[in-house]
Amino acid sequence: MDIPYTVSARPDTGLFNAKIGIWLFLASEVMLFGGLFSSYIFLRVGADYAWPIHELDVWPGFVNTLVLIGSSVTVVMAWASLKLRKIGMYKVYMTITVICAGIFMGLKAYEYSKKFKHYAVKLTDGTILTGHLPHGYEIEFGEITELSMTIAGENKAVSAAPLSHVLPFVEGEIPTFTTAEGEELTLDEAGWSAFHAQIIDAAEVKLANDKAALVAAGRGAEADLKYLLPDTSVTLKPATPLKVRVKPSKIYGYTGDTITFRDGTTASGKLINDRMTLEVDGVDARSVPDAEKSLAWKPEYLGDEWKEEFVHTRDSALTHFADEYPSRDPSKSATLQKKAFYLHIHSPTPEGHAADGDAHSAEAKAPSEGHGEDAHAGGHGHYPEVILEKKDITFFSNYTPKLNTFYAIYFTLTGLHGLHVVAGALVLLYFLVCNGKMLREDPEHLANRVEVGGLFWHFVDLVWIFLFPLLYLL
Amino acid sequence: MASSVEEVNKSVRAFMKVFAALIILTFITVGLSMVEMPTHSMNILVGMIVAAIKASLVGLIFMHLNHERSTVYKILAFTGVFAIVLFVLIVLAHGDRLVDPNF
Repeated sequence: MDIPYTVSARPDTGLFNAKIGIWLFLASEVMLFGGLFSSYIFLRVGADYAWPIHELDVWPGFVNTLVLIGSSVTVVMAWASLKLRKIGMYKVYMTITVICAGIFMGLKAYEYSKKFKHYAVKLTDGTILTGHLPHGYEIEFGEITELSMTIAGENKAVSAAPLSHVLPFVEGEIPTFTTAEGEELTLDEAGWSAFHAQIIDAAEVKLANDKAALVAAGRGAEADLKYLLPDTSVTLKPATPLKVRVKPSKIYGYTGDTITFRDGTTASGKLINDRMTLEVDGVDARSVPDAEKSLAWKPEYLGDEWKEEFVHTRDSALTHFADEYPSRDPSKSATLQKKAFYLHIHSPTPEGHAADGDAHSAEAKAPSEGHGEDAHAGGHGHYPEVILEKKDITFFSNYTPKLNTFYAIYFTLTGLHGLHVVAGALVLLYFLVCNGKMLREDPEHLANRVEVGGLFWHFVDLVWIFLFPLLYLL
Repeated sequence: MASSVEEVNKSVRAFMKVFAALIILTFITVGLSMVEMPTHSMNILVGMIVAAIKASLVGLIFMHLNHERSTVYKILAFTGVFAIVLFVLIVLAHGDRLVDPNF
């Protein structure tokens, strides 16, 4: 059966059917993005921290804006060419449109991947240090002589699974273990499943005995109710003390002398190291009451040299602002606050000191790299490296929704928009590649299809026109 | 809706003009965002006005909303109402105060 009104207009609406369809769809899309834009306003107005302004690199967003505008033009030109039956030009324009979508998504991937690798560490006084974790962040915990775990019967959700939750983090060879009964156990797939089966069998026997005892005591009704396998607590002693090295996100938690893994296994031992090595590329002191007393300037961290650099940058920004806009309140200018209290770091030592000559700064750098203490660290040399004490850190995250509401709404909006770009590009690619027969036999029908696909594409462009200034510029 | 060859040719010229205008307005958007206005809200307002102009150009010319059948406008009228409600809800939520001022 032929679908009616694909080429000619339906008399009552005055439009071909697909066009009504796309406009109904776009109407719902406006409300979808409208809701998200209004969430953006809500989050921004209600933010209890300095909302990031000019935080994102402008150039990828700027290039993407031009790319999307260009592709909007080419898709409408593809439609016009088809209307004029310039088949060659139609194909060229459609191809350019799809390539533009590819460039857009490529730049998006570049932007996203940079954020996944970039970290912000919030210190207890509100200072935020930004930078990279050259070795990731892992804690070291050693001298583990005993693992305590619960093998669930049937009434507990978390059951011990040391093979996947404990052993992957053990450094070096995995020794054999001894059970409470003195049996030797090799913790591999076969050894663990045999041991696990043995525990469950014992639990079943115990359950059966308990029931029999109840029946014998004339309490058969209670025996019927008692049908869940009991849990069994197990302790395993490693032949040699264990040492683990693990990301904090992969375990439940730790203290100075115990560590709890995701499967509920706990171990006692000793915390060896939970300090964080950070290559600092920024100090955001906007939330600190007295920026000069920020923890970042502790001698063990960035020290006085960087503090001087900070004070210098801050004072010159404030003076410049006072000269330029004498009537304005400096505390009300978000851009000034950022310029003055968010120090960006581009070199291993403060520039003010490097100004004496390059040789001097190179000398200053050399011995610090030579220190045996952090020989394995050996940063890239572009940024100062600090080793942060755990007690000074309240929170850290890469630049993902976990960090703050700005990145939450940033990823929601750009992610959803990106999906629209992909979907739109696929539809246009389909018209270009798979609709050859229609192009030859019924170009007017294909022109209508391209018009409808183009309408969606323009909408995607339209959303980006608002996203770009809101997220990148303002 | 443009259907005759002549009309399409006319639209093509309009598309090119809009293309140029959109590129120029993009540069203006970026430039204006670097200007320190008396308050940052003014930056936001100006930025959104420019974005709205760009969006209207795309909507009116590329999406042919300057000469469309009435059915489309009727559909969009509903969207307009709902979109406005979505934004007003936020304003209402922001104006909402808890009774305890110290909360």
